[in-house]
Amino acid sequence: MASEYGSAARSRMIGRAFIYGSLVLLAALYLMPLWVMITTSLKSLDEIYGGSFIGLPQAVTFEAWGKAWSQACIGTACTGLKPYFINSLMMVVPAVLLSTGIGALNGYVLTKWRFRGANLVFGLILFGCFLPFQAVLLPMAQVLGKLGLSGTIPGLVLVHTVYGICFTTLFFRNYFVTIPDELTKAAQIDGAGFFRIFFSIMLPAALPIMVVSCIWQFTQIWNDFLFGVSFTAGESSPVTVALNNVVNVTMGRKQYNVDMAAAMIAALPTLVVYVVAGRYFVRGLTAGAVKG
Amino acid sequence: MTRKKSFSDRLADWLPRLVMAPSLLVILVGVYLFIAWTGWISLSSSRMVPQYDFVGLEQYYRLWATPRWHTAVANLFIFSALFLAVTIGVGLVMAILLDQNIRAEGALRAVYLYPMALSFIVTGTAWKWILNPDLGIQKVVNGLGWESFVFNWITQPKFAIYTIVIAAVWQSSGFAMAIFLAGLRGIDNSVIKAAQIEGATLPRIYASIIVPMLRPAFLSVTVLLSYIAIKNFDLVLAMTNGGPGNATEVPSTFMFSATFRRNQMGVGAASAMMMLMTVAAIIIPYLYSELKESRDGQ
Amino acid sequence: MKNLFPALLASSASLIAAMPAQAEVQLEVMHHWVAESEAAALNVVREALAAKGYGWQDSAVGGQSGGNMQQALRSRLASGNPPGAMQFIGWEGIDWSAEGVMRELNALDEANGWEAAIAPQVLPFVKNGDDLIAAPINMHRQNWVWANKAAFDKAGIEQPGTWAELIEDGAKLREVGVIPLAMGDEPWQIQVIFDALVADIGGPEFYNKALVELDPEALSSDTMKQVFDTLRQVRGLVDDGFTGRDWAVASGMVINGQAGMQIMGDWAKGEFLAKGLKPGEDFLCFATPSETPSFQWLIDSFGMFKVTDPEVTKAQDALAEVVMGPKVQHDFNLIKGSIPARTDLPVDDFDDCAKKGFEDRAIAIENGAMLGASTHGFASQPQFATVFGDVVAQFFVNDMASEDAVQMLVSGIDNAR
Repeated sequence: MASEYGSAARSRMIGRAFIYGSLVLLAALYLMPLWVMITTSLKSLDEIYGGSFIGLPQAVTFEAWGKAWSQACIGTACTGLKPYFINSLMMVVPAVLLSTGIGALNGYVLTKWRFRGANLVFGLILFGCFLPFQAVLLPMAQVLGKLGLSGTIPGLVLVHTVYGICFTTLFFRNYFVTIPDELTKAAQIDGAGFFRIFFSIMLPAALPIMVVSCIWQFTQIWNDFLFGVSFTAGESSPVTVALNNVVNVTMGRKQYNVDMAAAMIAALPTLVVYVVAGRYFVRGLTAGAVKG
Repeated sequence: MTRKKSFSDRLADWLPRLVMAPSLLVILVGVYLFIAWTGWISLSSSRMVPQYDFVGLEQYYRLWATPRWHTAVANLFIFSALFLAVTIGVGLVMAILLDQNIRAEGALRAVYLYPMALSFIVTGTAWKWILNPDLGIQKVVNGLGWESFVFNWITQPKFAIYTIVIAAVWQSSGFAMAIFLAGLRGIDNSVIKAAQIEGATLPRIYASIIVPMLRPAFLSVTVLLSYIAIKNFDLVLAMTNGGPGNATEVPSTFMFSATFRRNQMGVGAASAMMMLMTVAAIIIPYLYSELKESRDGQ
Repeated sequence: MKNLFPALLASSASLIAAMPAQAEVQLEVMHHWVAESEAAALNVVREALAAKGYGWQDSAVGGQSGGNMQQALRSRLASGNPPGAMQFIGWEGIDWSAEGVMRELNALDEANGWEAAIAPQVLPFVKNGDDLIAAPINMHRQNWVWANKAAFDKAGIEQPGTWAELIEDGAKLREVGVIPLAMGDEPWQIQVIFDALVADIGGPEFYNKALVELDPEALSSDTMKQVFDTLRQVRGLVDDGFTGRDWAVASGMVINGQAGMQIMGDWAKGEFLAKGLKPGEDFLCFATPSETPSFQWLIDSFGMFKVTDPEVTKAQDALAEVVMGPKVQHDFNLIKGSIPARTDLPVDDFDDCAKKGFEDRAIAIENGAMLGASTHGFASQPQFATVFGDVVAQFFVNDMASEDAVQMLVSGIDNAR
């Protein structure tokens, strides 16, 4: 009996070791590109062009990071990523808040105030998620021109809000479906109006999905390059466009160390969001986003 | 019920629709009007700038007579199928492993999720090096003593698209993991306990009980990953720029180069319409069944 | 009321946009020069413009060999808000001029006699009909071979006189453990070699027939097959790690002796000079080998868009004058590695390779061997030129027969018509 118990414990141990082993191995694989980026950013350019692409730096230098942040040339303006980083913040915050807010309202209407054709409306909005954005660049540019918003950050906020609505509406609609209708009906009988129910019942309950929506939107909008390069110019460009200008050199020599440092600086906000809010992300998804 | 409704009642009736109206309006313009515009351009002779004439299906003939487009379409299907299957598989396995009361779960989760946060404009370069036979994995393994080891897919026109799948899986599987993990957390532990009492092994419980319960999570993951697969653009540009020898061209890169580099706006618009039609053929039945189900469920 | 909201947004937006601007008139210049050396060269222009009292508002859009910039420009034109000036390459300037969005610079041309100073072969790319629409600033030569002198000495070889010799030399380099040819697999890098082969094997006249006039007979001729056959041999000179390799990394391989040669335009020269290498002593620069040598050129020029603000128009005039100014052409090209677009300037203080290029150009202008580089859009228009890139790149990385490549070329060109 004792030996049987022992073998069960041993197989359990082996099982645990297998699980941890797999998880750590996967983590190592996942960190590999980051490792390449970090080590490269700490090398000198001569070392890289000498043929050392992968592997530890011979001499660690933070020069590339300083350069990427405040000296790297984007065209003839050698300001580093700093001003564009600020542009991106000015763009991403209102765009995320607006699209999430509108998505919440839409989800609320589509689930608790169904009207004839509500499903059709939802279908129309959802299909918009899958629009290849390359196809809408020129008509969008014309519209922005007519609105007097071309080449500006408010214009970019508008574009991101419009195409962000599709996903946020999907998120909130699928979440609100899981909230029992009785809750809103009871509130209605108590005399609460449309907005009252939204603000005092739905929104407080929607915190988890709001986190999901914000994280998704933040990532999409922060990392967007296509709209940024089409609808802004020069000093109003978001950080991805500036990053592209640092990185995407055709006829000149590439500064790989600065490129990698710049990429990591540009990714910092999204990284922070994932690391800090990652827990809430899973929690938010648990709370209902995955209930198709 | 003949009592006449007061103005405020009527306003209350219309309020939900009024709230939806702006969203619907911008979607109608920003999505459907623009699609119509693209459709029109695809029937015109546009080259550098939009021309509003009519040449019938000429641009579509031209499109389908372009070998690069055939490559792009084939790649889209290869890429999407593999990307979805592998990402879902890897994400699911990671989620199940992470759900076993793992210490340092938070840290591991962050490691799996971080690729999603990075823009491919530069991680593409890192991947390019890792996959380059003279710089990356192959060189490292050869250096360790296994000299016949070959991993040069990125240099092979027939295999290069798979390297893009690898990088895309790396980027998105953490996201799939998060959704599956959420699904697993939503399942009552007593289900597992009950099955264990009946003598089922853990892998069996997962295969026949838990995974089927994750159906909603599978649906969400599929929708979000399809979105990523269709939008796949930065990744290809950064890693192979469509090469070697156009072997990794996908519809979005084809559309971009036709419209903005090759002065073939009409062909670009035609390729956009083909893409939209493909998406519609897949999404509309799905939407229809989903929405019908939810109506039935009332 | 209807227009209030947009107007409000617009005014607040323009307020934001106007904040960093000074009192002086700002000219927005769109370009894709984002490399450090390119930006440094551009600063010469910027400073000269500032000396005339005009500001330079930089709109750099790098990547995709200018593809991203073309995308940005189309969006800007669609929104009715074009930049003041733009850097053009290939047919872009002429094509936009045909769309009626460019302004002409005839008055300035007549006053300064610019046309006489520009090589006649270049004129079709800066003149639309009788109108001068762009000011060329530099000229690159594309068909150069850059070689490591020490590697050549080690293998006991000298500058090859024909492609056959070059390929033989490659074998000798390989024997002494040197990669014969360093390059990357980007279509344009392969196309650079293809362009050279077409002119070197078929001669300048064949080049014009095949790559400029797109004559089907020339495209499917035996000469073209021979070009592809030779390209296949060139593939044998390249190592397998060439995937995704930047040209500057390839230059690095020649500089450190890992590779023997690189076929690349003269922008590669900066890499050698920056390492302190001396032309003739440490590295060699010679034109791609041929019995009918040619000068394959590409130019960068600045074109001006039609704008409503007369102050901006004045700034455009100032920019054109600055660009065509002898001093700017001299200083700019010293940094950029190219030679002045103007043919009437002294180049005494340029390096030996540039001087050689300058001499070769004079000869090529004489005997009709000035060829626009197809790779960079100075032969056929983009919808055709990119077909060459497609076919050549596919041929190079696959096991494709020369006949099939020629066939693909003909049908591809046909489909793009």
